Amino acid sequence: MTPAALEAIGLSKSFGGLVAVDDVSFTVAQGTLTALIGPNGAGKTTLFNLITNLYRPDAGDVRFLGASIAGLAPERIAGLGLTRTFQSARIFPGMTTLENALVGAHRHLRGGPLAQMAWLPSVRDEERRVTARAEALLELVGLAPFRRAPATTLPMGAQKLLEVVRALMARPRLLLLDEPAAGLNDSETAELSGLLSAVRANGITVVVVEHNMSLVMEVADEIVVLDAGAVLTRGVPADIQRDRRVIEAYIGQGAGAH
Amino acid sequence: MEQAVQIVIGGLLQGSVFALVALGFSLVFRVTGAINLMQGAFCILGALSMYSLGQVFHWPTGLAAAGAAAAVVAVGLIIGAAFFVPGLSRLPVSGMLIMTAGMLTLAEGLALLVWGSQPYALPPFSGEAPVRVLGIRLPTQGFWIAAVTAAVILGLWLLLTRTTAGKALRACAENPVAARLMGIDVPRATLASFVLAALIGGLGGIVVGPITSLQFDTGRFFTIYGFVAVAIGGLGSFVGAVVGGLLLGVVEQVAAGYVSSLFANSLAFGLLLVVLLWRPSGLFASGPQRRTDVRDENRVWPPIVRLRGRSAAVAGIAAVALLAALPLAVNSVPVMSSLVITFILFIGLLGLDLLMGYAGQVSLGQAGFMAIGGYASAILATNHDWSPLAATAAGIVVAVACAVVLSLFTMRLRGHYLALATLAFGLLVDSFTVGLTDLTGGPSGLVGIPSFRIGPYAFDTSERMYYLVLALIVVLVVVLHGGVRSGFGRALQAIRTDQTAAAALGINVARHKLIVLAISAALAALAGSLYAFYFHFLSPEMVGTPRSLEMLAMLVLGGEGTLVGPLLGVAILTLLPTVFQPLAAYKTFATGLLLVLAVRYLPGGIFGTAVDRLRRITGGRGTAPVARVPGTLS
Repeated sequence: MTPAALEAIGLSKSFGGLVAVDDVSFTVAQGTLTALIGPNGAGKTTLFNLITNLYRPDAGDVRFLGASIAGLAPERIAGLGLTRTFQSARIFPGMTTLENALVGAHRHLRGGPLAQMAWLPSVRDEERRVTARAEALLELVGLAPFRRAPATTLPMGAQKLLEVVRALMARPRLLLLDEPAAGLNDSETAELSGLLSAVRANGITVVVVEHNMSLVMEVADEIVVLDAGAVLTRGVPADIQRDRRVIEAYIGQGAGAH
Repeated sequence: MEQAVQIVIGGLLQGSVFALVALGFSLVFRVTGAINLMQGAFCILGALSMYSLGQVFHWPTGLAAAGAAAAVVAVGLIIGAAFFVPGLSRLPVSGMLIMTAGMLTLAEGLALLVWGSQPYALPPFSGEAPVRVLGIRLPTQGFWIAAVTAAVILGLWLLLTRTTAGKALRACAENPVAARLMGIDVPRATLASFVLAALIGGLGGIVVGPITSLQFDTGRFFTIYGFVAVAIGGLGSFVGAVVGGLLLGVVEQVAAGYVSSLFANSLAFGLLLVVLLWRPSGLFASGPQRRTDVRDENRVWPPIVRLRGRSAAVAGIAAVALLAALPLAVNSVPVMSSLVITFILFIGLLGLDLLMGYAGQVSLGQAGFMAIGGYASAILATNHDWSPLAATAAGIVVAVACAVVLSLFTMRLRGHYLALATLAFGLLVDSFTVGLTDLTGGPSGLVGIPSFRIGPYAFDTSERMYYLVLALIVVLVVVLHGGVRSGFGRALQAIRTDQTAAAALGINVARHKLIVLAISAALAALAGSLYAFYFHFLSPEMVGTPRSLEMLAMLVLGGEGTLVGPLLGVAILTLLPTVFQPLAAYKTFATGLLLVLAVRYLPGGIFGTAVDRLRRITGGRGTAPVARVPGTLS
């Protein structure tokens, strides 16, 4: 049996007295697209930070393709093929759109600094290959015309798409997207939806934190609902949509009791 | 026993001034989140003004002190309003550090112009005769120092906790945006804190003047000692500043009294490195925790300038041809010599640009690597008959080894701490080059260094050296250009602005920082060695901290992150004083002023701005289209 792409086992984290994530466990099967939803403050982003070890969990373990990645440095985790994006698009200022995308390919570059300085033929080929790939991906999301523009001059929605492109340049085996649709207008959201479907069709496992419910319902295979730091429920979109507890978590108990 | 008590009292007095400088640091840091490297210079300005008013114009002591304090406040107001406050809203942390480094240089240049380079001593306020208390001799000045320090601490505490103005300052410290929304004039409050810190520094200088030697450039020592105190006590903590200052003073005096003053200097800088490693937040961490690890959205990062493809190659070949023909047109010996120095320094700047311009790691101690490499190779070639080539290689190895050790301390440091650690490193190297007289020749320098030679061929004229260094530069620029245009360069640029995001993409941040520091150290060492072989002489001031600050100015003026731009900066600051000899006295002042102005008004430096203009005029190929919010992307 193939191992799950991602297993979170009893993850907990508190900040001071506040329990942000409380004994959260879930698994993500390979090749699926899982959405992580829940009201603000439910601990979704913290969970991402625990998985990628930006925060060290107080308790629990994370397994990626069957092997524990708890305590590994973020760059090691990325090196294994687990790539994430950030809630606020963290594109690199001072670099162009294309260069930002190219940074994503970093883990696949074989030439060391010395080979790159010597501009060896192998390095030249490599650069040409990743550049072609980056331009193709930028084309796919409609950012190709701005490939030489400073990335910070892009509107927020485009910056978020660029961050997804940059993550895809890493050829991840598991992609964690933190609210990729926040700040996107309708047509950009449509671009994103198409991109996510294409990503999954290529066999990349995706976990996405998202508030845009129509997007979630459209693309997700499975939904995990977090509330107050704990897993409230999980299931296929159609079931989650009908789940009274989910509605309560979002709207409050009074509203759900009617 | 009596001697020990005397030493401890001396330490407490010395420490009082460190405490006052540290208080100034903490005050400005709490209100603005910036470290003001000029802080120590206010001490010197205060003390030297006191000297002029009291000794030259014969004002009575009280009046002279008031006048000196007023002079410091005036300087603080001008520099604060013209540079510091406007810079705060526009520059990233590293930019502010560079700007305050420029302000420090500017203040030193000012002091050099007004007071010259000779040391001064102030007479004690209440006579030379010490007072005996319980059989211990106390200098009368000690009472003045203790009283002023206590008064400043008390006054600052009352101001911050008991007055509306103090509350406004604290509000700015907690949240500038919210403070502005509440109707507080944030720029004015910022300026007020800057000037208040200047006054505190000035008062410290005025009272401590009689027990210290004063020179135009002593300010940087007050800055670094004040910062060591702050680092020990905790950045932003007032209690920590005072405790850290007194502790540092005592430790330093005890070390100087029982071991040697060379050891005392090294101890202080070593102490800083240890504190930064062991407890970066200090003993009394408090105040608002400013996060330097998150990207600040409204700060501007200048884009890194690139010339593309064929036009870059054509321009490069033309520039090299022009430079190769230049000696034919120059018939002045000093100008030719200046050109060689320009090129030699440019080698060091290539490394500094990689480190600062690309990887965003501010280094205020780059000349330290020049000194290590230069002295190592010069000593091997002069005293141990190594061939200059082998000696240079050895110098580079030693410098890289030092860089690796330094990076153990600085690996996890960012922003202020990294910059100050590199400054401490530079000053530590300074104290060794001056202090290890047997090895380095001490302050008078190392003489009789042979010419550079490769096999039988000696580079013993300016022309030969010129072509040697030019060839080196061409090779280095081509090689580094290859590095910065590919994955390595992109990784450095990613680290420059967002280390967390870089790591999340699989970039090993620590490894890249180490590599880039090692490369910059190697290039600095190469420059230091060539410098020594060219001059046949090497002295601490040729490769000391002023050189580090000068290189910073050259880099920013020429253009950070442009690789070749800094050549313009070096040329301006090296050739102009040679061509216009009368300007030489203004060099420090001009260096500081140009640095401050370049940080403020030329974000891409001369080179970056020129390339940008050129692109706008031609509007042709290579122009970067700016995305004009397209509305939809489809």
